[in-house]
Amino acid sequence: MDKAALLLSLVLAQTPQADLRCVATGEDFVYDCSIMLMRGGRPLEGADVTVGADMPSMPMAHSVRPAKAIPGTKPGEYRARLDLEMLGEWAIKLRLDGPVRDLLVLHYEFDSKGAKPSMGGQKMEHKKH
Amino acid sequence: MDDYALGVLTNIGLFSFIALSAYLLLIAGEMSFGQQAFFGVGAYAGGILTALYGWPLPLAALAAMALGALAQFLVALPTLRLRGLYFAMATLAAAEMARILFELLHWRRSIDGELAGPDGTQGFRGIRWIFEHGIEPLHYLGIVGVLLALVLGLFVFVERSKLGATLRGIGQDPELAASVGIDVQRVKLGLAAAAGALAALGGVLYAHHNTYIEPRNFDIMLGVHSLAYALIGGLGTAFGPLLGVLLDIGVLESTRVFHGYRMIVFGGLVAVLLVFRPRGLLDERMVLWIRQRFS
Amino acid sequence: MLVDFIQNTLDGLSAGAAYALLALGFTLIFGVLRRANLSFGPAIMFGCYAATWTHVNFGAGLLLLALITVGGAVLAGAYVERLCFAPHRGGSAIAAMVASFALWMQFEELATLVMPRHLYAFPLLVEGDPLALGPFTLRVDALVTLAVALIACMLLAWTLYRTRFGLAVRALIEQPSAAALAGINVPWVFVRVFALASAIGGVAGYLVVATHGQITPMLGMWATLKGLLAMMLGGLGSLPGAVIGGLALGLLEAHSQWYLGPQMRDLIAYLLLFVLLAARVPWMTTRSAS
Repeated sequence: MDKAALLLSLVLAQTPQADLRCVATGEDFVYDCSIMLMRGGRPLEGADVTVGADMPSMPMAHSVRPAKAIPGTKPGEYRARLDLEMLGEWAIKLRLDGPVRDLLVLHYEFDSKGAKPSMGGQKMEHKKH
Repeated sequence: MDDYALGVLTNIGLFSFIALSAYLLLIAGEMSFGQQAFFGVGAYAGGILTALYGWPLPLAALAAMALGALAQFLVALPTLRLRGLYFAMATLAAAEMARILFELLHWRRSIDGELAGPDGTQGFRGIRWIFEHGIEPLHYLGIVGVLLALVLGLFVFVERSKLGATLRGIGQDPELAASVGIDVQRVKLGLAAAAGALAALGGVLYAHHNTYIEPRNFDIMLGVHSLAYALIGGLGTAFGPLLGVLLDIGVLESTRVFHGYRMIVFGGLVAVLLVFRPRGLLDERMVLWIRQRFS
Repeated sequence: MLVDFIQNTLDGLSAGAAYALLALGFTLIFGVLRRANLSFGPAIMFGCYAATWTHVNFGAGLLLLALITVGGAVLAGAYVERLCFAPHRGGSAIAAMVASFALWMQFEELATLVMPRHLYAFPLLVEGDPLALGPFTLRVDALVTLAVALIACMLLAWTLYRTRFGLAVRALIEQPSAAALAGINVPWVFVRVFALASAIGGVAGYLVVATHGQITPMLGMWATLKGLLAMMLGGLGSLPGAVIGGLALGLLEAHSQWYLGPQMRDLIAYLLLFVLLAARVPWMTTRSAS
C-alpha cells in the first residue's frame, strides 16, 4: 500500500462516530438533543462540539443557528438545543474541535416528538402504483 | 471569527463558482438550468479521488475540473442549435439524468476494513482530506477566496478583451455575430467547457468543505438558484453573480428577524427587483455608469 | 405478461390524464405569452394546500375542496401573472422566468409555514376497493381522473372554438403580431389565459392529491416538472400536443417503472426529452421559444 493510502487508512480508523437523540421541547421546532461521541470504540471526551443543521436539498437554503454543545453527564455525551425551521429530514452537522477536528453529517427525521435516524436519500415520490 | 461565520463566507465563495458558471452562459445568451450537474460531477470526482485513492486535493481539483469541462462539452455538443426554452429544457433534462446517475452510483472501496465511497442515494460520506491534512477553516476560506479572486481576475480580463465582446455579441444577436465571421458554435463549445470546469471547481471545493455529499444536493433547486444569483446580481460584470450570492446568503444570515420568512421576503424582493432591473443590479448600464464615474 | 402490459397501459393513461392537464396549462401560458411559468406547479400546490388547510381545520366535502383547490390555484396564478409576467411583456423572457422561480420559493415557504408537517393526508377521491374487470384492476379514482380530464379538454375546446375569448387566444398563439393589430386587448387576454391555465392546473392538482390521498411540499416542483416534460414531449406550444405528450409521458412512465424501476422510469423520460430536443425533431420545435 502506498504511503498516502496508509496514512488515509490510519486516520480513517480514528473517525469519530456519533449518535443523536432528540426530544421535542413543546416549543415549535425546538429540540433538546443528546449526542454520544465515540472514537475507536471508546467515548470521546473533551471535544468542542457545535451542532448545525441543513436540509439535503439546496444546502444553504435554511438558516439554523449552530448551537454549542455542553458536556453531558455520561462520558462522551454532549447536549445542545436545536432550533429548526420545520419538520422533516435534516442533515445534522457536528463540527468537532479541540483534540479532534472533524465534521460529521448525520441524517435524522424530525417530527413532533423527536428525531429518528433516517435512511438518507429518500425522495418524496409521487408514484402511481 | 467563529467557525460558523467562516463556514458562511466559504459557502458564499463556493456558490459563487456555480453562479459564475451560469453567468458565463447567460451573457452569451444561453439559459442553463443544469449547472448543478457539473457542480455534482466535480464534487463526486474530487471526493472519489481524494477519499478513495488518496490523491492530493489540488490534483483532484484539476481532474474534477477537467471532467466537468468534458461533461458540459458533451451536453453542449448535441444541443448547440437549441435556443431559449428548448436549450433550457435540454440542460434540465441532462442535469436530472446526472442526478439520477448519482443515485445509481455505487463506488465502494475498502479503506482499512471500512467501506467508503459513494453509495447511491445514501450519499458519499467521509470526504475528510482537509481534516486529515490539518487545514483550518480559515485556511480553507483563504484557498477558496484566492481561487475565486483568480477566477474573477480572469473574467475581468476576458470582459475587456475581444473575447468578451464576442461573447456579448453572440448573446445579443447570434446571427449578426455569425455574419461578421464569428464561429458561434466553436465559441459556444469552448464556453461550455469553461462553464463546466468552473462549476466543477465549486463542486470539488464544496465536497471537501462539507465532507459529505448526496445526489439531492445537486437537484434543480441549486441550478435555478445559480441562475437566479447571476441574473439578480447583474449581467454586466462577473461581480454580479457574486453580489447575487451575497444578497441571498448574506440576507439569510444577517436577518434573524426573518427566521422562517426568508424565502418569502427574498423571493418577493427578487421579483420586484426584476421588474425594475430585468438584467440585475449590476447590469450593463450600471457597470458603464460606474466605469464613467471612476475613470 | 400481456395482462401486465395492459394493466400498466391503463394505469399509465390515468396518470397521463393528469399530466395532460398540467401540460395544457403550461401550453396555454407558453403559447400565448411565449414564456414558461416556473410557478405553475407551486400555484397549483397553493390551491391544494388551501384545500388541505380547510380540511384539517374545518373538514369539508370533496366538491368544496375541489373548488377551493381550483380557486386557490387561480388566485395564486393571478399573483404570479401580475408580478412576473405582466411587467416583462415584450421585455426579457429570462427575467420573467427567474421572477416566476422566485415566487415558487415564496409558495413553498408559505406552504411549510402554514402546514409544517412534511406530509398531510388528503381525503381520497374514492373510498373502497378497485373494480375488478377480468384479470385487470381498475381503480375508480383513475377512471374518474380520466373522465374529468376528458370533460376538461372538451370544455377547453369549446372555449377555444366557440367563444370570442377563445378566438383571441388562438389568434395570439398563431399570429401574435396580427392579433395585436386586430384590436385584441392583449393584456386582458393574458390575464384570462392565466386564470384558465391555473384553473386547469388546479383540477389536475386536485385529482392527483385526491388519488394519492396525501400532499407534500414537493408537489409544486413535481407538477412543474411533469407539466414541462409533457408539454415538450408533445411539441412546445401545441394544445393537442400537450394532451398527447401528457398521455405519452404517463404511458412511458408506467411501463418503464414496471420493467425497470422508479429511477429508470425518470431517467428514460428525461433521456427521451433530451434526445428529441437534440435531434430537433420538427414537431418539437415548431414555436419560437424567445
